[in-house]
Amino acid sequence: MNDLTTGETAPPEKPQPRITKCAAPYWQHAKDEKLVLPYCGECEASFYYPRLWCPTCFNQDISWKQLSGKGKVYSYSVIYQSPLASYQGDVPYVLAIIELDEGPRMMANVLNCDVDTVSVDMAVEVLFEARGDMKIPQFQPAK
Amino acid sequence: MAKLNPVAIAAVSEMKPGRYPEMDGYDLYIEVIRQFLAEWSLKPTDIQGLLACPSGMAGGGSNDIFVHEQLYEEMGIKPLFADTMNAGGSTYGLMVQRAVLAIQQGKVDSVLCVGAGKFPKVSTGGAESMARMVSHEIYEFPYGTFIPALYAQVATRHMHEYGTTVEQLAEVCVSSREWALLNPDASMYGSEALSVEKVRQSRPIASPFNLYDCSIPLEGGAAFLVCSEAFAKRINQQPAYVLGMGEFHNHRNIHQAASLTDIGCSKSGQQAYAMAGLSPSDIDFAEIYDAFSINPLVFMEELGLCPQGKGGEFFQSGAAKPGGDFPVNTFGGLLSFGHTGDASGMSMIVEGIRQIMGIAGERQLDKANAGIVHSYGGMMSEHSTLILGRSA
Repeated sequence: MNDLTTGETAPPEKPQPRITKCAAPYWQHAKDEKLVLPYCGECEASFYYPRLWCPTCFNQDISWKQLSGKGKVYSYSVIYQSPLASYQGDVPYVLAIIELDEGPRMMANVLNCDVDTVSVDMAVEVLFEARGDMKIPQFQPAK
Repeated sequence: MAKLNPVAIAAVSEMKPGRYPEMDGYDLYIEVIRQFLAEWSLKPTDIQGLLACPSGMAGGGSNDIFVHEQLYEEMGIKPLFADTMNAGGSTYGLMVQRAVLAIQQGKVDSVLCVGAGKFPKVSTGGAESMARMVSHEIYEFPYGTFIPALYAQVATRHMHEYGTTVEQLAEVCVSSREWALLNPDASMYGSEALSVEKVRQSRPIASPFNLYDCSIPLEGGAAFLVCSEAFAKRINQQPAYVLGMGEFHNHRNIHQAASLTDIGCSKSGQQAYAMAGLSPSDIDFAEIYDAFSINPLVFMEELGLCPQGKGGEFFQSGAAKPGGDFPVNTFGGLLSFGHTGDASGMSMIVEGIRQIMGIAGERQLDKANAGIVHSYGGMMSEHSTLILGRSA
């Protein structure tokens, strides 16, 4: 999109996730900046990503539970060239697998730090990044 | 389990990996089959079954999900067993396994397994469409995924758990290049030898990978004929027997893998060893799908060919190189032979077959009685292990 006042081209928007029916509560809570995941009462465990039954015991009676938002880096990579035009301005950026304190792992970027300071087991905490009218969970070094 | 009838691969052919702008995926398919038939003096009527894979996947907008129908019609045959199947890089290993079952069931005596691949240029949106294809649309892709960075999760974790170094990763690339220099069909044949320093000095892509830690995107294709023993012997006195096979489907998205250092390969490997009645010490060489430098290192461990956590030391020792104790990726690997997109899972099987047949030219191994071929699809998601041998 061209900005008519400066003539500069705005970078394309970063991808906005598609909301599936079973994940609607996850995204609704994310909009309120809360990390809320499906919870299996049988396993007494949260799981990621949202789906219709517990991936461990297959129980379909799922509730939702807010997590601490704390975790650590399980693994990561620093990306020096991105295939996504919307991420080109961010290189180098960190693509990581985060292990939440409650157990589940999820993929996210590690933000608000020098990429060279990221390491496996580094403590991180959730923050939320706007994507259109949604917000997605991201992580930054724990304070 | 009752001893099943032996099945062997009797004929094999592969196009030289390159860029073929004048050919689309289907043209490549037909050229692969033409070369295969000419090289082995076979006729389409020698093909009783046909397994093919969509060739346009990496280019996005695949319109050839029924490619087997077009191929058998164009060849002029009416097979008793045919399908288009897709399991990423493990497609062709699984084709062998499906063909073996069909032949042992007595459905057919021969199955042509064929693949052709176009690889979009990374700079023309190809990398984005591929990242979209192999990462979860909702829970991964919005975070700016990139194929090297997804594989890098496995490498970073291996380095953390076992102390593997970037220099040891580079040794995998150095070893593959040495083999490629012996293979006239390899894209890097005639190029310079690599060194650990050169790999480390190449530009960073996604840590810990630099450019030379990544395979070379090209185009090509291959075909081979899986046969009952009697049918195979009519074509080739030294076919490659399928002694063992195993498959395991572990996850789809890399963040969902329960472990990044036990990723499912050991399960398919154990099945293959058990079926063959062989152990890792009986294996003479390995051909392993190597989209990135980390792959052979991890799979050597999971296949029990070196101790867990010692894959880095194994490659550093030089054992995998020409003249080494345990040759790995004797065709040059996807790292130096070339990665032919949707057909990439063919190249390590083709080489395993050629080594067993004894037709690998200058790089032919002195000892090639039994070899292991491992390929996988997705983000090391689903696995195929084959053990090939000279006698049933």
